[in-house]
Amino acid sequence: MAKSVDPLETMPVSRYAGLTRWGLRVVFALLVLFLYLPIVFMVAFSFDESSTPGLPIQGPTLHWYDVMIHNRQLLTAVGNTVSVSLIVSVLATVIGTMAAFVLVRGRLRFPNGIRIIFTLPIMVPGVLIGIALLVFFSRAFHANLSLMTVIAGQLVVTVPFVVLIVASRLQSFDRKLEWAAADLGASPRRTLRHVVLPLIAPAILAGALICITLSIDEFVITWFTVGNQPTLPTYIYTKVKFGVTPEVNAVGTVMLFATLLIFGIAGLALGRSRRSPARRRAAPPA
Amino acid sequence: MTAEVVTGVEAAPVAVVSRGRSARLRELAPFIPAALLLGILFFLPLGVMFIFSLWTTNANLDIVPVWNLDNYAQFFNSSAYVRTLGKTVIMGAAVTAICLVIAVAVAYFLARYISRRWARLALLVIIVPFWSSYLLRVYSWQAILGEKGALNQLLVGLGLIAEPSRLFVYNDIGTFIVLTYVYMPFAILVLYASLERFDYTQLTAAQDLGASPSRAFRYILLPQIRPGLITAAIFVFIPILGEFLTPSMVGGASGLLIANLIQTFFKNALVPQGAALGFLIVAFVTVLLVVFRKYLRVEDVYARG
Repeated sequence: MAKSVDPLETMPVSRYAGLTRWGLRVVFALLVLFLYLPIVFMVAFSFDESSTPGLPIQGPTLHWYDVMIHNRQLLTAVGNTVSVSLIVSVLATVIGTMAAFVLVRGRLRFPNGIRIIFTLPIMVPGVLIGIALLVFFSRAFHANLSLMTVIAGQLVVTVPFVVLIVASRLQSFDRKLEWAAADLGASPRRTLRHVVLPLIAPAILAGALICITLSIDEFVITWFTVGNQPTLPTYIYTKVKFGVTPEVNAVGTVMLFATLLIFGIAGLALGRSRRSPARRRAAPPA
Repeated sequence: MTAEVVTGVEAAPVAVVSRGRSARLRELAPFIPAALLLGILFFLPLGVMFIFSLWTTNANLDIVPVWNLDNYAQFFNSSAYVRTLGKTVIMGAAVTAICLVIAVAVAYFLARYISRRWARLALLVIIVPFWSSYLLRVYSWQAILGEKGALNQLLVGLGLIAEPSRLFVYNDIGTFIVLTYVYMPFAILVLYASLERFDYTQLTAAQDLGASPSRAFRYILLPQIRPGLITAAIFVFIPILGEFLTPSMVGGASGLLIANLIQTFFKNALVPQGAALGFLIVAFVTVLLVVFRKYLRVEDVYARG
């Protein structure tokens, strides 16, 4: 995939070209520094002996990791977060993918309007969604807040993501492939299963991964719809708001590396599956 | 698309093309769960909130169905509230502006000077910080920007300032820095998508015809990435209108934005007032989305990298 360099591109066009290039390099380096600064501090504070985050960092110590694994409340919060995010991402992916098919292929009357409708939950401030749901649940349903209400709230923001991402992939889908399959005698169900779904699988997977990451980190809506079973973000918020506890930095560090690992494995798996059909295609027909 | 010549392949019946109402219903059935979900859990609660915004509270702070527009009038008659709204809009505009400028520079660098493979890796590097807890990153910024924070220590150490400054956090500057931090990657992802498609020989051609590099940039490149710029601006500006967590953590008492005001209303059981302000924001966001409906490329913002 190496882009061959156009000779025009290498032609010096301005006295300042080299300078611009160096300037941009510096901007990029500063940006990366800016983006990683808080992460570096989070990781560093998790090894800090002092219990108030600040410089110089004393240590290193694994004390906060020890505190973390013995903190029952925190582990419960992690458990809640994991189960909520799995349920949310499975439900959102299924509901969203189904809707995306109708959105693209169902000859709906106002496609642009429906697009706006699905963008609204993403763009309307989470505070408003959260408060509206809180008012709605407590006054209209007299429902007790629980992890169920958290899941309901998170579905409102995750389903639209799946719908829009899968719909965009379906839009560019070459329907002649389906017609070819039908022509060769495949039933619509078989065509869906063996032609359409495998081809849009990357979009569905991307949607599911986005749902998981959004759900794990969702704070605002969760904050208003959560009962007495905290999720990790709401637990961290109460901790950070009402007292300094370096073990949350340890949690953050563990979570960061866990996410990196999951995404790394997913990326490798995807890369492999994407490469193998290419190789098959490249092989001469027997 | 409608004027296209229909080829034989296109006209071929795929499966049994079923017509009639029940078939149409079956075709639309997969849409029902999503429609119900958004209907019941999004539009209905917002609708309830809108109705509350037209009602009032009695002395016990119970909501009573007395129809009036006082909650809206009250908001616009309070200069403090209107000022917070104005400040939120200015904050959004300022953060959007700096995000766009830096994002254009970075995306231009990645798209033009780096091979595609390395550019993708660089984008990944830019996104990775966003896989860790948002709360904890903002919390880290507190420690970095605070009076005893790293930034102050650096500046004092370099002799640039005599003593630690309180200027960087618990005010609008703190909110500005952290919001820029939070929204920058979105802008970069969107603009990279535009700049990757741009044909850079056009710039060379323009300069060959005598345009200065800055003129070529201004009149050749910028017009062509305009859709990307608008998409990026929307995805930075609109979420800032509802930013609640960042101001509450690094904004201090003076750096609060409109969403914090809404939350305060509800916390104090002033539901109709809070609902009125909330509805104003929802209406504003909806108008922006309708006006810029062509640029709502959510999938460009989130499904890349």
